[in-house]
Amino acid sequence: MSLIDLVVEDIVKIPMTSNDKPDVLRELVQTLKDAGQIDDFDAVLQAVQEREDKLSTGLENGIAVPHGKTTAVTSLKLAIGIAPDGIDFDAMDKNPSKLFFLLVAPPDQSGPHVEALAEIAKLGQSKAFCKALVGADDATEVVELLKGE
Amino acid sequence: MSTPKKILVYIDGTEQSITAAQYAICLAAFYHADLTALYVINTRAMEDLLKARIFLKDEQMEYEHDMEADAERYLNYVNELAVKKGLSIAKKSSRGSVHKEITDLVKDDDIDLLVIGELSRIRSRRDEFYDEAERAMRTVPCSVLVVKDEDKVWEMYESLV
Repeated sequence: MSLIDLVVEDIVKIPMTSNDKPDVLRELVQTLKDAGQIDDFDAVLQAVQEREDKLSTGLENGIAVPHGKTTAVTSLKLAIGIAPDGIDFDAMDKNPSKLFFLLVAPPDQSGPHVEALAEIAKLGQSKAFCKALVGADDATEVVELLKGE
Repeated sequence: MSTPKKILVYIDGTEQSITAAQYAICLAAFYHADLTALYVINTRAMEDLLKARIFLKDEQMEYEHDMEADAERYLNYVNELAVKKGLSIAKKSSRGSVHKEITDLVKDDDIDLLVIGELSRIRSRRDEFYDEAERAMRTVPCSVLVVKDEDKVWEMYESLV
């Protein structure tokens, strides 16, 4: 399975309405809940929060990759959030984060989990592409950009 | 007509790979072929994640440990599936880049047929989205069988005496 299999409009939140990191995590997990991808909001949020508490997943170039493992899901789940104005996510370059990829997986699917995170890492290396995603008008455009259409 | 003598099935813990294993077991039984199941601990991806600072060092170790446990769990499960049908399989796990480990094993063990689970139905034009199994399919020197239709394969497996 590839990350692209998880990319559908329902899991894209654009523009995000959060103002700070706790809100961002809640908004992304809520996106998964609203899309019918998860049942247990609290468990998924806790999993992601626990990882975030160790060290911020806010990277350079405005990208953040909150992630976690939880038995509350039976397969990989992805939510994408776009905040064109940027949100303080305690990123390593101290700049606001604009592009969020939240990924959660069950503990016994570490292989697919690692592969999906690696694909996100590769995506993040393309500044031009990330800029295009941040500039997208809506979820449809985000999905089209990711599918290369 | 030559038939496969050595079959390799790639296991990554997904339902698709388990379906592939069931089909591979049926093939091995029918052709009296040797069957090997391979799980690759994707250390290459974990190193990339560490470099990208998505993983912390202790997180990398934690996931590596998880993958080792997954390898044992899924290979044992596939072994049980084979034993139920009176077959023995060789269980192998390796570390590195998934497609490279698959290709190396195919070459080293003279594998005739690689069996993999269903690939992504979406073909993105973005290079970043790649399926390791699909990459292996393109690089291995042997024939490749992509298994689909979980229900039909289950029936096939169940009917195997």
